[in-house]
Amino acid sequence: MMEIAWIVPLFPLFSFFFLLAVGKKMKETSAYVGILMTLLSFLLSLAVLFDRLGGSTYKAEHVWLTIGSVKLTAGFAVTALNAWMLVVVSLVSFLVHIYSKGYMHGDERFSVFYAYLGLFTFAMLGLVLSPNLLQTYVFWELVGLGSFLLIGFYFYKEEAKAAAKKAFIMTRIGDVGFFIGMILLFWQVGSFAYDDIFRAAEDGTLSQTMVTLTAILIFIGAVGKSGQFPLHTWLPDAMEGPTPVSALIHAATMVAAGVYLVAALFPLYEASETAMLTVAVVGGFTALFAATIGLVQTDIKRVLAYSTVSQLGYMMLALGSGSYVAGIFHLTTHAFFKALLFLAAGSVIHAVHTQDIEKMGGLWRKMPLTGPLFLIGTLAISGVPLFSGFFSKDEILVAAWTHGHVALFWIAVVTAFFTAFYMFRLFFLVFGGEKRHDEKDVHEAPAVMTLPMIVLAVLAVAAGYVHTPWFGTFLGDWLTDGAYAHETAPGWIMAVATAVSLLGIFLAWLMYGKRSLARDWLSSRVPYTYSLLWNKYYIDELYMRTVGYAATAISLLLSYIDRFVVEGIARLIAATVHTSASLGSRMQNGQVQMYGAVTFVGLALLVVILAFTGGYL
Amino acid sequence: MSMHTLLQYKWSMMTPEFIVLITALILSLADLWMPNDKNRRPLAWIAVVGVVIALIATAGLIPAKPVSILYDTFRIDSFSKAFKLLVLAGGALCLLLALDYRPKEGLSHRGEFYYLLLCALLGAMIMASSGDLITLFVGLELLSVSSYILAGIRKTSAQSNESALKYVISGGIATAITLFGMSYIFGLTGTTNLKEMAFEVQKLADSNYQYLLALAFLLLLVGLSFKISSVPFHMWAPDVYQGAPTPVTAFLSVVSKTAGFVILLRLFITIFAAAPAHGKDPSSLLLSMQNYIAVLAGLTMIIGNTVALRQRSMKRLFAYSSIAHAGYLLVGFAAMSWVMIDSIWFYLLAYVLMNVGAFAIIQRLSDEADSDDMIHFAGLYQRNPLLAVSMGIFLLSLAGIPGTAGFIGKLNIFLGALMTEPGHYMLAAVMIATTVVSYVYYFGVFVQIFFRPADEAASVKLPVGLTVTVVLCAFGTLLFGIFPSLAYQVLAQFEHFGDFLQ
Repeated sequence: MMEIAWIVPLFPLFSFFFLLAVGKKMKETSAYVGILMTLLSFLLSLAVLFDRLGGSTYKAEHVWLTIGSVKLTAGFAVTALNAWMLVVVSLVSFLVHIYSKGYMHGDERFSVFYAYLGLFTFAMLGLVLSPNLLQTYVFWELVGLGSFLLIGFYFYKEEAKAAAKKAFIMTRIGDVGFFIGMILLFWQVGSFAYDDIFRAAEDGTLSQTMVTLTAILIFIGAVGKSGQFPLHTWLPDAMEGPTPVSALIHAATMVAAGVYLVAALFPLYEASETAMLTVAVVGGFTALFAATIGLVQTDIKRVLAYSTVSQLGYMMLALGSGSYVAGIFHLTTHAFFKALLFLAAGSVIHAVHTQDIEKMGGLWRKMPLTGPLFLIGTLAISGVPLFSGFFSKDEILVAAWTHGHVALFWIAVVTAFFTAFYMFRLFFLVFGGEKRHDEKDVHEAPAVMTLPMIVLAVLAVAAGYVHTPWFGTFLGDWLTDGAYAHETAPGWIMAVATAVSLLGIFLAWLMYGKRSLARDWLSSRVPYTYSLLWNKYYIDELYMRTVGYAATAISLLLSYIDRFVVEGIARLIAATVHTSASLGSRMQNGQVQMYGAVTFVGLALLVVILAFTGGYL
Repeated sequence: MSMHTLLQYKWSMMTPEFIVLITALILSLADLWMPNDKNRRPLAWIAVVGVVIALIATAGLIPAKPVSILYDTFRIDSFSKAFKLLVLAGGALCLLLALDYRPKEGLSHRGEFYYLLLCALLGAMIMASSGDLITLFVGLELLSVSSYILAGIRKTSAQSNESALKYVISGGIATAITLFGMSYIFGLTGTTNLKEMAFEVQKLADSNYQYLLALAFLLLLVGLSFKISSVPFHMWAPDVYQGAPTPVTAFLSVVSKTAGFVILLRLFITIFAAAPAHGKDPSSLLLSMQNYIAVLAGLTMIIGNTVALRQRSMKRLFAYSSIAHAGYLLVGFAAMSWVMIDSIWFYLLAYVLMNVGAFAIIQRLSDEADSDDMIHFAGLYQRNPLLAVSMGIFLLSLAGIPGTAGFIGKLNIFLGALMTEPGHYMLAAVMIATTVVSYVYYFGVFVQIFFRPADEAASVKLPVGLTVTVVLCAFGTLLFGIFPSLAYQVLAQFEHFGDFLQ
């Protein structure tokens, strides 16, 4: 099966082209094309995964381009990581495809939506299969394009347009780092292939400084894509896109691409202490930073967006702490429970037509399926024991502790507390208490939307058991080819993690569930902190005041240069082209004598030059 | 020469030439004996089959060791095999165009039309294989004389007649200049054999002799610039291309140009690379005269691309575009990197595919309207979407957009120009700039096809010969654009043409 793994991305690609061509006529039946194609992708991915479980890494490469002595290859690889990611991506994509049939029902550009989803899924699967940096980069940009198109899907909304633009530009800043890192590696190693790069990092072909430099540059790309501080601001804004898109792209798959990239290049990072530390610090800081913002936001999707940023920070922290397995494990569980949360949020939005949690409330009874499903997701992300998030978060805490990052460990613990708090704040405000919305006819979402959520809920619980300290570390053993280091973690870590998560839930219950604690008992005492958080640390404003104004000033200057200098030159060039064109066609007067004369004049000129230069130019 | 020596030659190496010759003879005899009122179009199929067999025979010869027969006048080395593949492929495609050529007034000399194309093709093949100035010249003239007649084969069309006359006169001038240049070399070396010439010129230590040789270099360069339609001998191309029947135009722009580059490379590398010089680069005359070629390449690109902007006639537009492409190819030559022949070969391969494909569609639309104005392309997308998309592919490839063979070809030449020490930055810059200019006219056609309403609603039907051509060309253009390594695998068998001078 592994030999034909390259077919996996082709199904959604077909769906993209097919729907682009005939989607208009098919209207809402286009959904079936998309669903069928992603189902095929998923089944094949599953087959590939099973094949890989018993086998070893498969790699196929062909020379794509030869330039001088440099050969560029293209191909695909099925490593443990790739096979695993294939399944995660195709499964979530498949479920989101089904869900969207209900969510996007009645949209005028229904088939276009499915076409874009196909393009994105193709790019994401292609990214996962890439065996070299160049190919990764191509697909990296393609997923960016898919994300851009889908964030701006409601392009008639100003906010959506601005958000799409912002996402594109912010991630592009990171991509520049990635690109420079990639070119540097190619320059030093002479190849884009992962294997060659790892070999060079190992045998010292790459100097220590170069390893650190390139690893950090590529990490900047990951920072942009995975919404890490300081390039995180695009991700919350990206919530302007349709909610299934937020679930697929901005929670489960694309934003995890940054984490995946660092994981795929893990041997390179391992070769540099500095790079590892950078990854860990940025991840830990982002985790706490985003969690604090999440405490006070009132838009349901934005709270989830900040929690995504925060959880991605966790994954980076895990990778930076040297635990490849913990990072990928959390990526997986997060993909499931966060997709679940987003889809459930979509179902809520679908029902009450608002995203403001202050205007929701009392939905537990009205939505008998969505409520419990959302609760499962919330429990999972809060790290309540027996849910998947508990195991993966525990793994990260252990990694941070055993790797000696004491400060980062405690940051992660505090973050876990905040996470539990803001997630249950969200839960109680949306589902508990009294009805605060004006929607009269609130009803549960159709089965086509609830079914994918149920599947995800099962996974949000079950996915944790592939790797637990109690029943066996299957995922870790397999991902590391049996070399998984069974670190004896101090037992108190698990106890602390459980305690802070329960504490967070309890506090949220007191404030928003039972309401025995006034909602503003804390915020009224620290109004400045509150407004700081409410305004997301003024990061957007900071960018606007510094980079924004500087850019405006520079752009004003440049526009003058453009108008008077560049345009002047351009006009000159255009005029030259025009003159030479008309001159040329005037010479072309149809008389063959003229043509002969031109030849002789040309020849004579050449000979004269030869004579004057004493024989040679 | 005794019968014995005659029989000793490895005549089998000339199989492709014999096949084309015999096919041409069969066609001429068939044409002679066929009743006058019989349709002669089926003859084209015989011609196509003959050329395809010759192509297969050439491919079969690839593994053979380089051989030189008939007192070193006829060489079969990897260079000749590689370029014979190109001219045969181009010739076969042009014959398919000729099969479905239907001018408004009808074509009364169809038989001649087909076997003259074969004769011209034979001339190009001989040029690719010649190891002697005499055979080379005979091949050149066989190609040229056949082409003169072909250009005027529409006897009752004034345009066609004008085209033929202009072609003969310009060709005569070119031949005179070329022969003049050859006579200098003959005078200096006392032989017409290329190999012996290369040996003799090495001994020319006197700077006066070298000066004469440089003069011969310029004369040959200008004389041969006729065949490849580059500056300063490019002006005939638009008039001749426009008046000639479209299959002949395609033939001139593809096969004749390829043959021109074959002879240019063969002569210049064999003779001038061996000659000592006292100029900029004393190691070889060719290297010290490099800048002349570079300047002409630059001018060719600039003139071809800018004047093309003003054309409304598709065939004239493609004439200028073909001048521009000659310029790009000359960049590959002027750079003289070690991948020079490889990159020129690949570019010509791409050029054969995209250009003949485009001419097939031009032929179909201009035959219908009896005019080749760009306006007849308007709304092609509505009239035949597949045909429009194919034309789109050819245009994108001609413009050098990634994903097409044209892009890979351009990239090769471009990198070749930068690869050398010192790099040809100016030339590369001119190439980029003029390529950008070329977007304007290629996309002008694009706009006509996709965004202008059609004058007629009738859908465009494509006859079988043209369909085969368009499908093959579009497929090849994309195939070599996405998997260029396929072509490199073919090229790899020629091992960078290491046996060129053996």
